[in-house]
Amino acid sequence: MSADTALPAASCYLDEETFRLSCGLFLEHSHSLNDGWTWEMFSGSEKEGYMKKTVMVPCRLSSTPCQRRVVDDTDGLAEDEQLSDQDESAGELPGAEGQAVLRYEYHVLYSCSYQIPILYFRASTLEGRSLSLEEVWKNVHPNYQQRLRQGPWDTITQQEHPLLGQPFFMLHPCKTEEFMRPALETAHAKRMGVNYIVTWLSVVGPVVGLDVPLSYALAVGAPVPGTSASASAAASTAASAAASTSASAPD
Amino acid sequence: MADDSTGKGPGTTKLQFAPFCSALEAGFWHQLTQKKLNDYRLDESPKSIKGYYYNGDPVGLPTRLTLEFSAFEVDGPTPLRCCTATGILYNTNTLEAFRSIDKKALLDKEACEIWKEIQSGAALQNPSILNKFILLTFADLKKYHFYYWFCFPVLCFSEGIPIIQEPVSLNLKFSAKQISGLQEAYDNLCSTNNTTAVPYFLVKYSEEEVRVAPIHEWEAFFTDFKTVTVGVYDPCTLAQHPGWPLRNFLILIASKWGAQLDVVEVLCFRDRTLQGTRSVQHSIIFQVKLPDLSASTGCPKSVGWEKNQKGAMGPRSVNLSECMDPKRLAESSVDLNLKLMRWRLVPTLDLDKVVSTKCLLLGAGTLGCNVARTLMGWGVRHITFVDNAKISYSNPVRQPLYEFDDCLAGGKSKALAAVERLRKIFPGVNAEGFNMSIPMPGHPVNFSEVTLEQARRDVEQLEALISSHDVVFLLMDTRESRWLPTVLAASQRKLVVNAALGFDTFVVMRHGLKRPRGESAESSPSSSCTSASSSSIPGMPSLPGASLFSNIPGHRLGCYFCNDVVAPGDSTRDRTLDQQCTVSRPGLAMIAGALAVEMMVSILQHPEGGYAVASSSDDRMNEPPTSLGLVPHQIRGFLARFDNVLPASLAFDKCTACSPIVLDHYEREGFQFLSKVFNSSHSFLEDLTGLTLLHQETQAAESAGVRPQQDSSLTNKTLEKFLRLWESPTSVLPPCPSGAV
Ligand SMILES: [Zn+2]
Repeated sequence: MSADTALPAASCYLDEETFRLSCGLFLEHSHSLNDGWTWEMFSGSEKEGYMKKTVMVPCRLSSTPCQRRVVDDTDGLAEDEQLSDQDESAGELPGAEGQAVLRYEYHVLYSCSYQIPILYFRASTLEGRSLSLEEVWKNVHPNYQQRLRQGPWDTITQQEHPLLGQPFFMLHPCKTEEFMRPALETAHAKRMGVNYIVTWLSVVGPVVGLDVPLSYALAVGAPVPGTSASASAAASTAASAAASTSASAPD
Repeated sequence: MADDSTGKGPGTTKLQFAPFCSALEAGFWHQLTQKKLNDYRLDESPKSIKGYYYNGDPVGLPTRLTLEFSAFEVDGPTPLRCCTATGILYNTNTLEAFRSIDKKALLDKEACEIWKEIQSGAALQNPSILNKFILLTFADLKKYHFYYWFCFPVLCFSEGIPIIQEPVSLNLKFSAKQISGLQEAYDNLCSTNNTTAVPYFLVKYSEEEVRVAPIHEWEAFFTDFKTVTVGVYDPCTLAQHPGWPLRNFLILIASKWGAQLDVVEVLCFRDRTLQGTRSVQHSIIFQVKLPDLSASTGCPKSVGWEKNQKGAMGPRSVNLSECMDPKRLAESSVDLNLKLMRWRLVPTLDLDKVVSTKCLLLGAGTLGCNVARTLMGWGVRHITFVDNAKISYSNPVRQPLYEFDDCLAGGKSKALAAVERLRKIFPGVNAEGFNMSIPMPGHPVNFSEVTLEQARRDVEQLEALISSHDVVFLLMDTRESRWLPTVLAASQRKLVVNAALGFDTFVVMRHGLKRPRGESAESSPSSSCTSASSSSIPGMPSLPGASLFSNIPGHRLGCYFCNDVVAPGDSTRDRTLDQQCTVSRPGLAMIAGALAVEMMVSILQHPEGGYAVASSSDDRMNEPPTSLGLVPHQIRGFLARFDNVLPASLAFDKCTACSPIVLDHYEREGFQFLSKVFNSSHSFLEDLTGLTLLHQETQAAESAGVRPQQDSSLTNKTLEKFLRLWESPTSVLPPCPSGAV
């Protein structure tokens, strides 16, 4: 965005207003890409909300998390003779069932206590069963596992989603300052207005399989202080355009 | 995708459709649970819900009908670029009802509904009627097991649909100009309808332009009725097959215009964005010959029940206890939070060792409550309480596991109430309580056969409990009640962590852990140890202490009674503030209780565990022996000075609890020996161990001029004695690190 934005001293912290404005700009770009980020309002309040993206990925583990824990009591209710005449002549393509797919849900929320954004995520099967952290880890490609072992993967913990009240994993914010400070200081030195959400998400996202294309870094700037009217208009346009969304393609 | 729909002449292969695959978000089950508990309760009547499908998936994903938490808000917004399917939820109250409900009838009912809408023309005005689903569920909310079965009802052509022209990718049939024309026309149609996805539409194209229209404009839009092109918003990604939504649309066409039609060209519109670039050119297009249904009046045959994961015609089920059962959630959260500590701060921390440790808490008072809470904080799951007291009105303010109500009607048993509370705090805990007393030296048990028998049973019970735990915490409020467990645990080679309170002083210590039997030959206290121990008596000549009081290995460390020169059980001289924990400064029990657990954890982190060399105050400057730091023998705290010291002392060969002679007698004679101790005065043990003689010497020494006690509030005889030892210039105990003396 603007190169002459006068930023206050580089801070790793973010106030809630800047969070929402930064998300608004992020979402604007997402809509131009049609890559599935949306703003989810919480119980109608535009202020209380979060950015969300859902990604479907093939399950790398043939049997384990995707099919396990399907209760086997269904054996008792197995084949239904009433329906046995539903045969191939019925025009149904056979063999489509049981394809192993996982749904990854990413939520970006603002944390008032840490004053930074926090990435929540969960992975679930098409039955709606959430994966354990161990299962999520197993679905990480081995090449990445090596790389991630040292990273902030260490800081994944389980928390109730502050707005939904459902269990999610979150990347604990304890290391946020560690990597945000250098990035923000560099930008500050160059008098570049970086978008906090873009910078932050580019670092933490890949840790849990969420990629942020380079175009975000190029196209999305920081909200301009003092012009929050237009910026918030952008945010609310993006927000209202994106009531909620569904699956989207992983990049 | 290889299949048999290709490779034969035109008209001989039949069109096959990729069925919907049900996709449920975790949020859907959460919401269904809420609805069942708060709204539906026992109401089994059908409920309106909705799902949606998307058409921008990359190749390889199954065609999904998704239901999320918003499925119950039928009038809520549809996600961007998604088409709605309206559904009917049948949530049964029992598994039996789920099983026996007539699925064929449910399907037929919906299929007839669709057929009626087609006949009446309503489906032309509102074509989303063609996409319906039935969801049959049974929610076992006790186990968090959900049984479900989806049905996506479609009407069938009895002879199938012959393919005239095989499906091809749109870019093989349309020019780039036509493709972008299609995209533009479709977008315009969407914005006219104020939506982001239109499920069905009509298409007309020439070299120059592509036009689309809503299906109710059929008569006006098409001029040639023999060959028409129709568009469907297609969620399928297969190159040779359309998805399910096309089926009822073809039925509608055949029923309305089948008489005039020769060939129907179908454009399966697929619209995806890859790396920021939108494309519809991977849409597929093909031609079919539609059988004429315009004369049919009866509802055609219908299909639609989804197969389960095994490919069989049957329901699916999912166990969500891990993400919905609050108890399971609490457990995994507690574990992950502990792991976070390890990951962040102490990478080598062996949490499993801590979590799996079985802890026996003797005493469920101020110390016991605080120890238990700290153990819970460390994720320890196995906690057992022994106490014979009832909760009294003064307890709850100091004993954090009890409340006012626990004091009513005579008071609940502490051991049992503590267990109850632990389970409330964390249901994953494996806690047990024993309301029993621990026999004590000098407290006779031989009044009658009954009392003797009771004592025998208590001893047996305690022996069994110590044997089935890994760490024994001594947290009682009397000194003599610590004697029996000290002897039993020493004999069983169990780690003992002991905490005792004065008014503003405390001691937290681990007992020396005797070598396993058979290895103990060279470890029995040698003459030098004896002299070292005796030298801790004031007035005895001081030995060059540094080497003697540093680097003491765990098996040579003393127990609680080793520093004492009187046997327990002398109630007139030594009981002092026994029942008076409440006269401690209130914070003391929390400090000491917490330190007792932290000491245990540090010991467990040491590769040698209870045999670890004792760290002393001097070691505070050195490289710590464990990832958590020091492993002291004792922590002695002085709240008045907000100071702790870490003394270490050798086992005393005349100790009334852990000396070889006491252990030998116990191991040879068992209860017979123990009952002698209970029934006799303190002199029995003192005579046995040789303390009597030593005691006389001590008193002589004390009267010879050790300086008087300064803090008159110090009332615990043991601590008092220790303090004097420690402050005495002749003391051989480690000096205070920072000039606190
Ligand atoms: Zn001892």
